Amino acid sequence: MGLGLDLPTFIGQLVSFLILLGLLVYFGYKPIRKMLDERANRIKEGMEQAEAAKQEYEQAKVAVQEQIGKAREEGQGIITQATQIGDRLKEEARGEARKEAQALVERTRIELERERDKVIDDLRHEFVDTAILAAEKVINETLDKEGHRKLIEQAMEESTTFKEN
Amino acid sequence: MAKKKVLGCSLNIIIILSIVFLVLIVVSFIGGSVGAIITGGEPLSIFAVQPPHPQLPAEHPFPNLPITNTMITAWISILVLFGLFFAATRRMKLVPRGLQNFVEFFYEAAANFIEDPAGKEYGRKFFPVCVTIFLFVLANAWINLIPGFETIKMNGEPLLRNANTDINVPLMLAVVSFCFVEYWGFKAHKATYLRKFFNFVPLGQGFKKLFTGKIKAGFGGIAMGIIAVFTGLLEAISELIRMVSFTFRLFGNMTAGMILTLVMIFLIPWVVPAIFYGLEAFLGFVQAMIFGGLTLCFLVVAVMSTDEETT
Repeated sequence: MGLGLDLPTFIGQLVSFLILLGLLVYFGYKPIRKMLDERANRIKEGMEQAEAAKQEYEQAKVAVQEQIGKAREEGQGIITQATQIGDRLKEEARGEARKEAQALVERTRIELERERDKVIDDLRHEFVDTAILAAEKVINETLDKEGHRKLIEQAMEESTTFKEN
Repeated sequence: MAKKKVLGCSLNIIIILSIVFLVLIVVSFIGGSVGAIITGGEPLSIFAVQPPHPQLPAEHPFPNLPITNTMITAWISILVLFGLFFAATRRMKLVPRGLQNFVEFFYEAAANFIEDPAGKEYGRKFFPVCVTIFLFVLANAWINLIPGFETIKMNGEPLLRNANTDINVPLMLAVVSFCFVEYWGFKAHKATYLRKFFNFVPLGQGFKKLFTGKIKAGFGGIAMGIIAVFTGLLEAISELIRMVSFTFRLFGNMTAGMILTLVMIFLIPWVVPAIFYGLEAFLGFVQAMIFGGLTLCFLVVAVMSTDEETT
């Protein structure tokens, strides 16, 4: 009762096994390998992307921080400048107002003086006229008009109050 | 009744089950062939198991066809494996589910097992042959464990029989393993691979020294050269012997398991053979693992060996 070694059976089994090997390679191992590789790649890509995004975020964060700092500095500068300008403007406005006020005062004084002179002049004329009228009425025809006037003017020349102006 | 509360239901059930199993074992033992011999009567009809008459060559269930029952079983194994992988990879998704997940889990485990010693590059090349050998041996061993598998008769012969118990199958696997080992070894080292088996270089150097006048060094060199040739011869023989050891390890284990199970069924028809079924399932896995693993191991050695010598 031998071991049963038999060449046809051996070859048949060999062919069967090789068919199985081929079938498993083409329907089993290859698609699975492909799928596993694809999945590994996907995961790797995803992780790389996440890493890149993280780095980008970090960079953006730094840039934003920098810009905020810069903006703050700039703002500070602008405020300082504005304050300076405001101070200057205030000073200028104050000076101008003072000047204007002074000019106004000056003008008013000149005006007032002129007005006073005029009033004095008018008063003198009026006084002269009134005096002439009064003298006419009192003296009446003792003196001619011209003689009168000369007399009065002479009197006025002598009086101290009207002499100065 | 009061105890039931304290110890719980499960213990009672265990006790009842053990008693039932024990009774079944005793009844089947006494009623079976052994009991019949002891009492001198006929075994009860339901226990009348035919005494095993194992036969090493595979039977031919169809007298006119050169098809053995082990071949049919091998084809069933192939169909099962192919069906499994085909169903799992038919509509693959990036997010695996069910069968695809299982097959991918197995693939990853096997790939890790192989790439561990062989490295990534060779691991992928060695994967198909090692894993296919493993799966084929495992499928053959486990399909055989389906109850009633070997009882189907056709023309007085069992229609199905564990393909691993047909010596042609282990021998075929051993030859396939051997061919792949030599192929990859030769491919990795080209002609220098042959120097592993036919190493005449030190002998030639010895003769060269002898003819150039260095008598003492020359004889020493020749002695070393003869040793090198002898070592190469031993190497070649050991590679061939590997096939024999491969063949008989699987064939012997599987045949012994089959005979053991048959004998246990004959002696104690009930309950006890179940233990041996579990043992056989484990043994089948171990044998498949050994066959695939050793093939991997020899492949790695064939690819690596001369690297280590030259460096």
